[in-house]
Amino acid sequence: MKLAVISCIHGNYEALNAVLSDIDTHRADQIYCLGDLAGYGPHPNAVVELVRSLDIPTCQGCWDEDIVEGLNACECSYPSQLAEKRGHLAHEWTNRAIHPEVRKYLATLPMTLRQDNLCFVHGSPNSQHEYLLPSMDGFAALERVLSAEADVLFCGHTHVPYLRELDNGTLSVKVQQPGQGETQHQFTAPLKRIVNAGSVGEPRHGRPNATYVLYDTDSAQVTLREVPYDYAKTCAAIIEQGLPPIFAWRLARGMEFAERADDPGHVCER
Amino acid sequence: MPHFIAISGPSGSGKTTWISQFLKDQSTPQFYVCPGLGEISMDLARIGYRFPWVQVVAEAQLRAVLADLPDQATVYFEWGFHLDLGSPFLAGLGCERVAVLPPDLTESDWHTWADRVVAGNAVAAPANGHLPEVWCTPLTGQVFDPPSLEVLLLEVTGGAYGQVCRLKGIFELPNGRAFYVDFVEGLPGMEYTELNLPPWLAGRPSRFSGIEVTGWGLEQQAIAQTLLDSGLSDAALSQYHQHF
Ligand SMILES: [Zn+2]
Ligand SMILES: [Zn+2]
Repeated sequence: MKLAVISCIHGNYEALNAVLSDIDTHRADQIYCLGDLAGYGPHPNAVVELVRSLDIPTCQGCWDEDIVEGLNACECSYPSQLAEKRGHLAHEWTNRAIHPEVRKYLATLPMTLRQDNLCFVHGSPNSQHEYLLPSMDGFAALERVLSAEADVLFCGHTHVPYLRELDNGTLSVKVQQPGQGETQHQFTAPLKRIVNAGSVGEPRHGRPNATYVLYDTDSAQVTLREVPYDYAKTCAAIIEQGLPPIFAWRLARGMEFAERADDPGHVCER
Repeated sequence: MPHFIAISGPSGSGKTTWISQFLKDQSTPQFYVCPGLGEISMDLARIGYRFPWVQVVAEAQLRAVLADLPDQATVYFEWGFHLDLGSPFLAGLGCERVAVLPPDLTESDWHTWADRVVAGNAVAAPANGHLPEVWCTPLTGQVFDPPSLEVLLLEVTGGAYGQVCRLKGIFELPNGRAFYVDFVEGLPGMEYTELNLPPWLAGRPSRFSGIEVTGWGLEQQAIAQTLLDSGLSDAALSQYHQHF
């Protein structure tokens, strides 16, 4: 079975359309979406309507959660004061633009989705706001996959796609018992993988192209896809809709609107 | 007799760098003048911070200073690209004229004007008749959130608010230190130099800081707003100061 996993569309309708056509040409049997349908981009309602009309199973993203519950992010979501100010502008704009039924739909989205040995989350199994960066400590990364009780953990939120194999899943535990020496127990976890789907609508890999992931459940093959789209249209809409023009400038360069926290050891506290 | 030297050349060619090599000498009185930008001159401020023994002369005091120069004085006039090379003021002083020019520039008004041509940075020579505009603003008292400042500099020099060929700035950071930042289009990277000043760890610094942006189609308001959004509030600043 061929799966397509998309994430972080961020109100970018043009990018979503291009990715859906690309998925079509690759004949995926099932699409999963890891959330962040809204936020930053100019077409949050249209994006939600399209995802709903295609019945795409979707997890709740950090932006979707914030639109439902109000700004609620850990300070790590905004690595700079400037990013925070811009994030708040985008939040206020989206909050005004979003239709009531779209907000209701976002509120119903689950934190996690599962299919057999696969688990789908937005940020991490702990929180929509936690970043699983590729540089994260291997032990902590493995802990996240194990806590999801999956072999493959699909996530988004960092906006940079990657595949990480945690093959040395050896956990050593030292046990000290009264009256006895120290004994060492070793557990070997089978190969676990983290697959980050990147971002459809707000890529931050230095090019404007949308990214997503194809996964073959039979061969376990992961394919990172990069799809060009007419980003100039989205840029024009950003300006037309009164969103900060700097978003358009950054989108055209594949630069994040708000850089993510760069401390891979950071644990989200909200 | 005091010695007058006027230095000209395109933006980013290395005029200030060329002058700086002589300012290290403390044996004779030295004066530095950078006309045309009033009180908000990054070069004036930076020379003043870097070479405290050099007398930096703002335009308003120029007449008084010139009238009362010691005999062994050397006066450097940094003659910006936006100033008239045929200025009667310069001619009247009997200046030595030095042009700091990109090595591949072989013919220009600077060549005709100069007594001496010095090879400077390989910056693009300005397109004829299309001189860039200069926008500057003092930032004295502003203390920047460091990651925001980084984003801001990347965006401004990257062309987010108009095409920029040069950026100079003196910025205060919450650790009490001040940095000089220099960007020249076409040269790799951005230069950050910590200014040798005592750290300012109580309240907002009252010493000069500011920014000077040279380019075309500059969106001055958007730059100003981004500068404002990147500055720390009183509360955030005092929180930082408690840390240091
Ligand atoms: Zn996202
Ligand atoms: Zn997110």
